[in-house]
Amino acid sequence: MDSIPLIRRIDKTLGSLKFAVILLGLFALFMIVGTFFESYYGTDFANRTIYKTWFFMLLQFGMFLSISFAAFQRLPPKKRLYGFYTIHTGLITIGAGSFITYYSGVDGSLLLPPNGPSREVILNEDVLKIRFPDEGRLVTYKLPYTGFSADIAREYENIKIKKYYPFADNKFTWVNAKGSYNANDPIHSSTYTISNPMVSQDFTLSLHPESTEFKSNLTMGPLTVHYLPKSLGPCFAQNNPSRLILWDREKAECYTPEERNISIQKAKSGNRFLVVKKEGSGIFSFFPDVSPWPVDKDMRMQRGSPLRIFSKKLFEDKPNLFLFGESTAYFEKEEKEWLYSKLDQNIPLTLPWMGFEIVLEKHQTAKVPTFIPEKVLPIQKNNEIIRGKVRALELEIQGNPYWVTNERPVQLLINGKKAVFYLQKETLKLPFEFVLTKFKMEKDPGTNRPASYESFVRLFSNDGPQEHHIYMNNPLKHQGFTFYQASYSQDQQGNYSSTLSVNVDPGRPFKYAGSLMLVFGSLWHYFLNFRKRKKKDITPLVAGTEEFTES
Amino acid sequence: MIQFILALIFTSAITIPSNAAEETYFCQDSLAKIPIRQDGRTKPLYVHAKEAIKYLTNKTSHGELSAVQTFCLLSLEGMGLKNNINLMARVDHVDVKEMLDLNEKENQVSFTTILEEAPALRREMRKEMGPKGIQTAKSKAIAKLINQAGLYKNIVEGQNWLLPAVTRDRVDWIPVTAFLREEKIIAAREKSDKPFQYVINEEVKKFEDMKGDLHKLEYNYSRANLPVVSLILTLLALASLTLFKKFTVALGFSLATILIQLSLISIRVFISGRAPITNMYETVMFSGFGALVLSMAVGHFKKEKVFLYVGLMYNACTLMMMNFATGMLSESISPLVPVLRDNFWLSTHVTTIIMSYGALALSWILANTVLIKKKFTGLNKQDDLYYSELIYTTLKYGTIMLGAGIILGGVWADYSWGRFWGWDPKETWSLIAFIIYMAILHGRNTTWISPKRFIPLVAGAFMSIMMAWFGVNYILASGLHSYGFSEGGAIFLGSFFLIQTGVIIISTIDMNLPWSSSSEKNH
Repeated sequence: MDSIPLIRRIDKTLGSLKFAVILLGLFALFMIVGTFFESYYGTDFANRTIYKTWFFMLLQFGMFLSISFAAFQRLPPKKRLYGFYTIHTGLITIGAGSFITYYSGVDGSLLLPPNGPSREVILNEDVLKIRFPDEGRLVTYKLPYTGFSADIAREYENIKIKKYYPFADNKFTWVNAKGSYNANDPIHSSTYTISNPMVSQDFTLSLHPESTEFKSNLTMGPLTVHYLPKSLGPCFAQNNPSRLILWDREKAECYTPEERNISIQKAKSGNRFLVVKKEGSGIFSFFPDVSPWPVDKDMRMQRGSPLRIFSKKLFEDKPNLFLFGESTAYFEKEEKEWLYSKLDQNIPLTLPWMGFEIVLEKHQTAKVPTFIPEKVLPIQKNNEIIRGKVRALELEIQGNPYWVTNERPVQLLINGKKAVFYLQKETLKLPFEFVLTKFKMEKDPGTNRPASYESFVRLFSNDGPQEHHIYMNNPLKHQGFTFYQASYSQDQQGNYSSTLSVNVDPGRPFKYAGSLMLVFGSLWHYFLNFRKRKKKDITPLVAGTEEFTES
Repeated sequence: MIQFILALIFTSAITIPSNAAEETYFCQDSLAKIPIRQDGRTKPLYVHAKEAIKYLTNKTSHGELSAVQTFCLLSLEGMGLKNNINLMARVDHVDVKEMLDLNEKENQVSFTTILEEAPALRREMRKEMGPKGIQTAKSKAIAKLINQAGLYKNIVEGQNWLLPAVTRDRVDWIPVTAFLREEKIIAAREKSDKPFQYVINEEVKKFEDMKGDLHKLEYNYSRANLPVVSLILTLLALASLTLFKKFTVALGFSLATILIQLSLISIRVFISGRAPITNMYETVMFSGFGALVLSMAVGHFKKEKVFLYVGLMYNACTLMMMNFATGMLSESISPLVPVLRDNFWLSTHVTTIIMSYGALALSWILANTVLIKKKFTGLNKQDDLYYSELIYTTLKYGTIMLGAGIILGGVWADYSWGRFWGWDPKETWSLIAFIIYMAILHGRNTTWISPKRFIPLVAGAFMSIMMAWFGVNYILASGLHSYGFSEGGAIFLGSFFLIQTGVIIISTIDMNLPWSSSSEKNH
């Protein structure tokens, strides 16, 4: 019968006041740390590192045990302790309610765009979704709920899931290309800085087919920047009278009609046209002032043809800057001619627009510019995350590394089959559908501050459509779900979208009942059995408060 | 147009003053009561002018001129009427002073200079904040100057003073420059020799017939300076009690304080149309009042005079803050954010929480008084027990209300956001405070917390309430890089924590040393 004393000892420890005080102290300590984390690193980080971690849950479970054992130890009931029993039963009930909510509740948000229906509730779990469109298959992998990076090292059908960063920033990097390319393939990329005394901007342009984040053209206010293959540059340098340039994509070479004695004729419509012969490919007809592509005999455009034509005339009216990696060309309006110049690294070149100059910062002939996620500690400012907004997951597929982020899905061919990888929040499909019919926003008179915002929604369920009005402090309850007006946003055109928070809380009645017990138990405990201490020969604290004399 | 206006203004004067700049035109204090629209609310010009001039200069008047006169004259600049007011903003940050060519001793700069330097200031602020937009003490100082200059510009352009224009069934609020139209003034000249006042008064009359005259009540409320009256009454009560040992007189003054505070609170409720607990100023006001009422009630039933002292002492603290810490507590009444617009929950949840802060403040005053008393004249073991019991009484009220308040908050959150608990810093800190008090109350029944330790612990525990009350707004909300303690609230809290910790350490550290008087009594 050795075990009895041990059980008793556990019982005694768990129900003891000292154990309760230690737990209360720890609980307070974690919460204090949590609020500072929340303030510096944001709500999500505090949840992931403190409030929703196993040790904080364990602590709460410890308190649950302490409360229960303390009550059991004081049985059979004594009248003096009725308040105490009520308080502790109340706490246990609240704890049970919270556990039920945690286990089977739903807490998410529903975005209602200005037009079109929505029924997908966004939940809080991070998941990787892999869609195989050809097979109509969707795979969901649940990611760990962590505040720091996590090594996953799991494999699914030759897809290795490696590392997960819940908070990351995109870091600009040059990486080696995954595919192999011929020597004269136009795959170069460059970074430039364009600046005048007022503004300065860095930008990277790329021709590399693997570059998904960086394009080959860019508009900056009235200026359009075009990034073209290096070998096209010399043709821009020629101020040939026709101002036409032909580009042979297969050979990566350019020439002017004048160089090859190609005659330029005028069509009935007044547009110029020319016929070009390319060895091994046949004859191409161009209307260079209409399209860069050749046309066939039915006047259909042949996109994807190996020959293209540029009419520089089209780029003379507005500011257009052509960049060829390490050289540049633009039309000088005053001189009425095209200027072509070499760009040396770090030496600025003055442009004819608004005092701008351009500097080549970096030129890469074969590497690919990309953003690689880098794990960071998030920073919160004014209730907004200003660092660490990106969630990123590293995958290894067919020996190549890939980063999927919440900002950008990855699309691949695996053994000839298409696969799309999304990093997103888990979603829940509602058994009914909403349409936002109207969003009403009232402002405080004479100001831009919102005074109230209200959603008018149409709900489509099996019983037909119903109209509802949801606003602050007036939620909608439907089929066990409760919808609350949470927030809103406005797009460029001024249309409002509304965000509802969606909630299912089966623990609710427990929490309410427990709360009531707690409050009444405390009143009972304190006021039904207070002791009165006789005030006799007590030193007064301050003058004028000596023995109370009733006169 | 300017000549015309000048001619109209001086129509009753015998000669046009040689220096028109010293003229106050029609800017008299009689304008103080007229309704204006600002910050989403109708209020008397007096209140807005006072707040605006205070914001610009840290003072509520400008030399000989009252705030209303200053505001009025500055607004008339928008119509081309000159004045010789050179309004100055206060600059304290060394780097900013340097930017504005001020020497070390100077700390004022005219708004004309700030407006001229505004682009440079803005550039410097952006540079200081960097690409991530992180605020520093310097960037905040510049931002404040830029905001002040923005308001100044708005005023001198005549755009800030909005007057009512009543047309049949609606009121439009239009800037003073558009309000005092030429033809209106000419027409008014037929009827009165003070055409400007006449035009304004006529329109105000129409407005009041339609919308009532709540702004007049607010004007009288603001003029009455009830917080000052309450503070004087509380101090008189405290003096009667502790210096002159006249308990009944003290009781009389306390009742008078309660009456004045009750009217202060009621008028605010009437003006704002909501429970009086929606900003720091109001919560401080309400907790002081509530604590005094509670302490008098408890003192009466417990037949213990010391409660009156405790209540008065705490009330005096809150009234001091309301009257002197005006940089931290703004007394202005402004519209609420949408989520708080529910008078039922506001008045149940927030009132309960604030009352609990008041009750716990009583335990805090009592504990500190015991600690100081013990240090200076000594208390015996029986005293310790007795006063622990009194502190325990206040804790009972405080913790029940705090617990109930947290639960009510949870119910409100569940009702309007769909969750009981979301680990929001405000709710978490009120739970932290509650848990700390619970740890003390549970520990009191173990050998760990004897009455001797109980009292300093209770005194210290109030720091968690201060953190929940002020710290969440002044320390946590401002977040990263703001522990330069540059703002009033953070300095206040920092000094509070420092002083409280100091009191606890000094009063407990050498309690058992042979020369301390308390040890004499204990042995």
